[in-house]
Amino acid sequence: MSFFKKMSRRSIVQALIALPALSLFRKLPDANASDSDPSHADPNEIVEVNGWILKRSDLA
Amino acid sequence: MIFDSYEAFRAANFKPKVCILGSGPAGTTIARKLGAAGIPVVVLEAGSREFSDESQDFYRGTTVGDFYFDLDITRLRFMGGSSNHWAGWCRVLDKQDFEPKAWAPDTGWPIRRADIEPYLPEVHDILELPDFRPDVPISDDIRWVQLIKSPAVRFAEKFADELDKSRNIAVVLNTYATELAGDGKRVTGARLWSNGQDAGSFSADYFIVCTGGLENSRLLLWSNQRSNGGVVPNATALGRYWMEHPTFEGGNAILADYGEFEVDAVNEAFFSPTLAAMERLQIMNFGIRLIETPYAGIKHVIADLACTAPDMAEWVAYQLSQNLRCAAQLYVAWEQAPLASNQIELSKTDVDHAGVPRIELHWKKSELERRTLVEGLKLFGTTLIEKDLGRVRLIDWIANGEDYPTNEETAGHHHMGGTRMGTDIARSVVDANCKVHGMDNLYIGGSSVFCTSGQANPTTTITALACRLGEHLSKVVAV
Repeated sequence: MSFFKKMSRRSIVQALIALPALSLFRKLPDANASDSDPSHADPNEIVEVNGWILKRSDLA
Repeated sequence: MIFDSYEAFRAANFKPKVCILGSGPAGTTIARKLGAAGIPVVVLEAGSREFSDESQDFYRGTTVGDFYFDLDITRLRFMGGSSNHWAGWCRVLDKQDFEPKAWAPDTGWPIRRADIEPYLPEVHDILELPDFRPDVPISDDIRWVQLIKSPAVRFAEKFADELDKSRNIAVVLNTYATELAGDGKRVTGARLWSNGQDAGSFSADYFIVCTGGLENSRLLLWSNQRSNGGVVPNATALGRYWMEHPTFEGGNAILADYGEFEVDAVNEAFFSPTLAAMERLQIMNFGIRLIETPYAGIKHVIADLACTAPDMAEWVAYQLSQNLRCAAQLYVAWEQAPLASNQIELSKTDVDHAGVPRIELHWKKSELERRTLVEGLKLFGTTLIEKDLGRVRLIDWIANGEDYPTNEETAGHHHMGGTRMGTDIARSVVDANCKVHGMDNLYIGGSSVFCTSGQANPTTTITALACRLGEHLSKVVAV
């Protein structure tokens, strides 16, 4: 609580607006759908993200 | 000859061998074939030469199940039938549409596409069609197919003079066959209602029911009820296996080169699955209609893509700067699996002005069809990726698995099934020659005989089947 008390209302609002842009909050394909290690994922794998039918490499 | 009432027709003392009910594409085509063969035929048309609210009122009914159009809006009851509001799209059912499919019960026709192909030159003359180009496979899964936007022939306008001058064809307007009477072997007569009153009964050697994909079932259900099964002796399938072409906006496509697919005069191109893809995914046939998106729509699609795949969106924005036509709307129309539970029943409470029960249509889309819609769009999207042609975005309600919207196209106004063709009397009403099982002189024309709907608009196939039935009857009646 003390951490938030030190932040201005403006900073909190700006942080909330920025949250969806963080990769943590972006809806990426299910990690279990292929390889849990992204470096080993097939770049040509077909994935559906936010309704888009894409190649995994499109998400780079 | 064209008469405005049954009284006028009776006074002319014309003696037809064949009575056709309905003057739409099927009825008119069969009449012309019989007339050309020198066989006297009468066409009874319930409506007049023009649209009227009074006539349309006979078509009111109710629908149970999924949202559907008002039944007095989705068809027309005057000379020329529903050809009067037909949009003109033409394509014969695919060869694969006639084949049985192991993953979809009650599919497969007793005839093949080859059985109607000999009539296609005649159909092209009637519907004023150029030749079709062959389908173009763009992958192992997707075909680029052609639907032709024809001049949308209005059968009454086109053929009224010919019918009026014919000595073998009498068209009787404002004359509604409210019921057929039969003894289980033959139709013995028709009860008529003309210009607002009972007009007695009428008999002929042969009766051909061509009143439309909803009305054929209604007339025969009511006739059978009144004749204790004497009109359709094997009536298990009567009114059942009714089908439409559900039609909805499916999403968008972004194309690397919009010129890759030549669009028609209304900026549309069409895509369907191969039989191999249908078998692998166990889905029905479908047609994806690709329509050029206005510029404002393109910007919206790119903005959406930017949230998901920023680099991809950058590439698309570059494409847009090179070519304003890089995005398209996708509409999907698909084949309904034939289900006995999708059926036309007679209302128990509501009748028309002549006392005939109105239609209660039971219609629901199945899980197989939902899968056809979703898998079809994904298949198209995957093909665009594999061929490096572009990307597809599913519309939100499909991507999120939500219910079908009720404010969209919904369906094609294509009424099929109800008196389907087949060899099994428990699952069909007519045989391969469109003759009602067990009856010697009763035939059915129109899309109500369709066993499956395919994805193509039905008028071309209706007309081809009518040419075939007309030729068959010319031989049968002449004996």
